[in-house]
This record gives sequence, C-alpha cells and structure tokens, in this order.
Amino acid sequence: MESSMKRKSKTPWFFVSVCMLPALGLAFYFILWPTVQVLWLSFTNARTLTYHSADFIGLENYTYMFGDRRFIQALQNTLKLLAAAPVITIVNALLLAFMVTQSKLRERGFYRTVFFFPSILSLTVIGVIWSFVFHPTMGLLNGFLGFMGAGEFTRAWAAEPTTAIWTIAVAFIWQSAGYFMVIHVAAIDGISTEVYEAATIDGAGPVRKLFSITLPLIKDIVGITFIFAVSGILDSSFALSSVMTNGGPNGASTVLLMYIYNQGIRNGQFGYAMAITAFTLVMAVCLALISRFITSRQEG
Amino acid sequence: MTNDYARHMENVRLKDHIFQWAQRLFLLSVTAVTLYPVLWNILSSFKSNPEFISSPYSLPTSIETDNYYRAFQAADIGTNFLNSVIAVVVLLVVVTVCVIPCSYILARYRFFGSRLILGFFMAAIFIKATYIMTPLFLQMNSLGLTNKVIPYAVLYAVTQFPFSIFLMTGFMRTIPRAYEEAAMIDGCGNFRILTQIIAPMARPGIMTVCMLSAMAVWNDYPIALVMLTDASKMTLSIGIASLYIQQGYYADWVALFAALVIVLVPTVAAFAVGQRYLIQGISAGGVKG
Repeated sequence: MESSMKRKSKTPWFFVSVCMLPALGLAFYFILWPTVQVLWLSFTNARTLTYHSADFIGLENYTYMFGDRRFIQALQNTLKLLAAAPVITIVNALLLAFMVTQSKLRERGFYRTVFFFPSILSLTVIGVIWSFVFHPTMGLLNGFLGFMGAGEFTRAWAAEPTTAIWTIAVAFIWQSAGYFMVIHVAAIDGISTEVYEAATIDGAGPVRKLFSITLPLIKDIVGITFIFAVSGILDSSFALSSVMTNGGPNGASTVLLMYIYNQGIRNGQFGYAMAITAFTLVMAVCLALISRFITSRQEG
Repeated sequence: MTNDYARHMENVRLKDHIFQWAQRLFLLSVTAVTLYPVLWNILSSFKSNPEFISSPYSLPTSIETDNYYRAFQAADIGTNFLNSVIAVVVLLVVVTVCVIPCSYILARYRFFGSRLILGFFMAAIFIKATYIMTPLFLQMNSLGLTNKVIPYAVLYAVTQFPFSIFLMTGFMRTIPRAYEEAAMIDGCGNFRILTQIIAPMARPGIMTVCMLSAMAVWNDYPIALVMLTDASKMTLSIGIASLYIQQGYYADWVALFAALVIVLVPTVAAFAVGQRYLIQGISAGGVKG
C-alpha cells in the first residue's frame, strides 16, 4: 500500500503549502501563540490598562495563587468533580453500551438514539433545565421526593454549599454518558461475534461475558473515553456552573475555569489569570498522561 | 427424560423472558430520566405563568403560543438566532476550506515537519478553547475583533481544527490511492485531484466534521461569552443565559422555556437528519484515537 507519493523525493511544495498554510497559520495564531503567551504573561503583572507595559514579577502570581483562599476553593471543587464525574459517567456509559449491544430487545436501536440525545444539547439549555430539576419549590427532584414520601430530604440543592457542586456533576453525567456509550458501542460491535458464541456454548452468562470478554477487549477504548470524560468535565464545568449556580453559594461551586474567567475577563487581572490558566493547562495535560499511563500499563 | 428436558427448556425460556423484561424495565427507566427533563421543558413552554407555578408537572390545559412571541420580544431572541446562524455558516466555510486540504496533505504526504505538524494538531485536541480564554480574549481584543460575530465564528472554527483534522485524516487514509494514481496518469493536477476526486469521495467524513463543528458553535457558551458582550451580538446560547438571569427578576419562566425550545428545535432537526454522521464521527474518534 505504501506507494510512490509517500517517497520523500518529490514533494510538490507549492501544492502542499497552499493546502497547509491557511489551517496551520490560523492554528498557530489562535491556538499555539495564545498558549505560549499564557506562560510569559503569567510572570508579569499585566492588567487591563498596563497590558502593554506589564512588568516582570517572577513567580509572584504563583506564590499568591497558592495562598489565595478563593483559588484553593475553586481547585478543591474542580478536584471533587474530577474525582467523581468521569468515573460515574464512564461506568454508566459502559453499562448502557453493554445492555444496548447484548440485549435481544427489538427496540434496542431506539435506546441507543435516546441515550445519545442529551449530548447534542447546548450546555446552556441543559444548565437551565437542570437548575429547574433542582429548584427548591418547582423542582422535579423535590417534587419526586415529596411524591415518594421522602419529603424530609428535600432541599435547595443548587443553593446549599454541600450540594451545589454535585448538581453540576449530575447535569454533566446526564449529558455525556450517552456520548461515551456510542464510542463503547462501536468498540463492542468491533468484537467478533464468534467470541461471544463460543462463550455462550461454554455456558457463560451475561455478567461473565461482560467481565471476561467485553471489558478486557475494549479496555484501551475505555481508557481513552475516560481521558475524554476528564477533559470534558473540566471544560463543561465552566458553562454548567455559570448557568446553574453562578459559582455560588459563596464560591461553593466555583470551578477553576470560572475563577479564571472572574479574574481575567471580569477583573482584568490578566497576569494572575494566566498563572491559573498555566496551572490548569499543566493539570489537564498531567491528567491525560496519567490516565493514559494507567490504561497502557494495564494492557501490559 | 424428554419430559424433563422440555421442562428444563421451558425454565430457560422463562428465565430468558424475565431477564429480558428486567432489562427492558431498566432501559425504559433510563429513557424516562433522559427524556423527561426535556419533555417537561417543552410542555411548560405552552403553559401560562400561573399555571406553571401552581402545577408544574401537569399537562398544559391550553396552548399559550404567546410565550414564544414574548421570548422573541423580551430578549431579542430573533437577533441572537440570526447571529448563531451566521456563526454556523461562517464556521462551516472556514472549516471546509482549511481542514479538507490540510487533512489531505497530512494523510498522504510525508515531508520535513509533517509529523511535527500532525503531532501539534493531536496535542492541541487537549487544549480546549475554554482553558485559554484569557489569552484568546487579549488576542482578539488587540485586533479589535471582539463583539463581532464573524471574527468570533472564524476563531471558533480554528478551535475546531485539531479534532476535525484528526477525524478527516483518519477518514482520508481509508480512501484507496488507486483513484489518485489513475487520475495522475491521466494528467490530472494535484489541485484537481483534491477538489474533484478526493473531496467528493470524502463526503461522509466532511459531513461528520461539519455536523460536529456546527453543533459545537451552535451550543458554544464560554468563548461566545468572552467574545460577544453586546446584547445585539450575542449568539443564542449566550442570549438564553442572559435571559435566564433576566427572568430571575421578571419570573416569566414560561417565556424562558419557549426560548429554550427555540434553541432546541434546530439541534433536534440536525440530529434527526444527521444522526448517522454524528455517531460515525464520534465512534471513529474513540476507536481510532
């Protein structure tokens, strides 16, 4: 299959440049350059008015950051979400994918479409809808609890410091489990049916098949979807928390990206916002690498 | 003996039956959890405000289309809608013009730096635009391009490049080279090969990339929030969010629900038409990644 065009000898440079330059130029200008900018501006005291005459202040932004109570709170909230949301999302996605692919039900195609559906919705719409689910007086959840005779558990979910952050996690899981289910379904469909038939003949039940065949064979893809889910919650938490709770009450559901927005865009503390951005970027890369490492080691 | 066997088989069938119904029950309850919030929103958008507050879960007793009228009036949802449509069109032009040729080159040619460029795009998949919103804002601000819908759409299109290129190169590698080689022998130039042979053959891949990025910009919240602050420049997503805050004071919830339905309809329509491409793209993204 490796044919003549792959040989180094004759690169049609004019054609290649015309094709590459628009995409590459724009990507460098709007992705690479801003990312590089983060690093050097994070060592300056850039503000709205002093942006062009910012002074180099070394690590001051970083030292300030780790003493900033608000930053620590936002970091803790983000870590809470990162610890819970991706795992629950992926477990749900796997369970649904397994049920949809292995079931003999006639309407399984319908479930696949329905479960995928929330992932196409706007986060704003989801945020508004879910803030009504958690609404103290009109909310579906409190209504349901009351209906089930568990009225004492009702509360203002999005307005109480202990539960506010979790309303965001629930909305994220609701939205994205179907998306990851689709990826898992594709992976499971890729497994040869003979393997399952052989297992059925050997008397393996559905649970046994899940743990002995499906999971080991799609482990790699589960790892990838886990990384996607980690970067997904980090990204979506901003939109969800600003629509659902606006970071409140008193910062109890402020996430890192929202703190960046508050410091950088609202207060114009560019230098400081860049330091938090740099921290977030490093964290995102590390999380991706760690999950990658864990999944590839398990393959070992 | 045969009797025993028959009884055993009946047992197995019964067990199978029970298992299937348990499964169905579970899947149906997940379906309810998935659809109910959205259905509830749609139903509420047809109620009057007093009716919504007194009985938020019942079916609407009458159809209040006035809510939709108010949604268009109060929050200028019409302008926001138009801005979102402009953003989608501009984004689609930029994505097709830039991503198709670039992906073709990266899929087919090896030259000095080609691996580095591919590596850059793959790594950039993890740099979400939301993370770098502050430097992006500074960049756009220094160019005087904030509060303008078209530059915003171009910027957003660029943030979609890495994942789109990843999908497109994957797709283009599946096109057999024989077509290009035959065309080359017939004296067809590189540009004609790309526009007249590769582009038509890559149509399903192009559709997938277009659907995914169009939906992304339609639904985008963070970047639009940072770049478009003028009410008349806001896209639908941002318009709805500010309407939500506004309705916190006016408590015209049903108009808000009507506005949400206005956002939902085009997404659902696109989903109905292009579900196949979307699912294809998403599956490919995971499996090949």
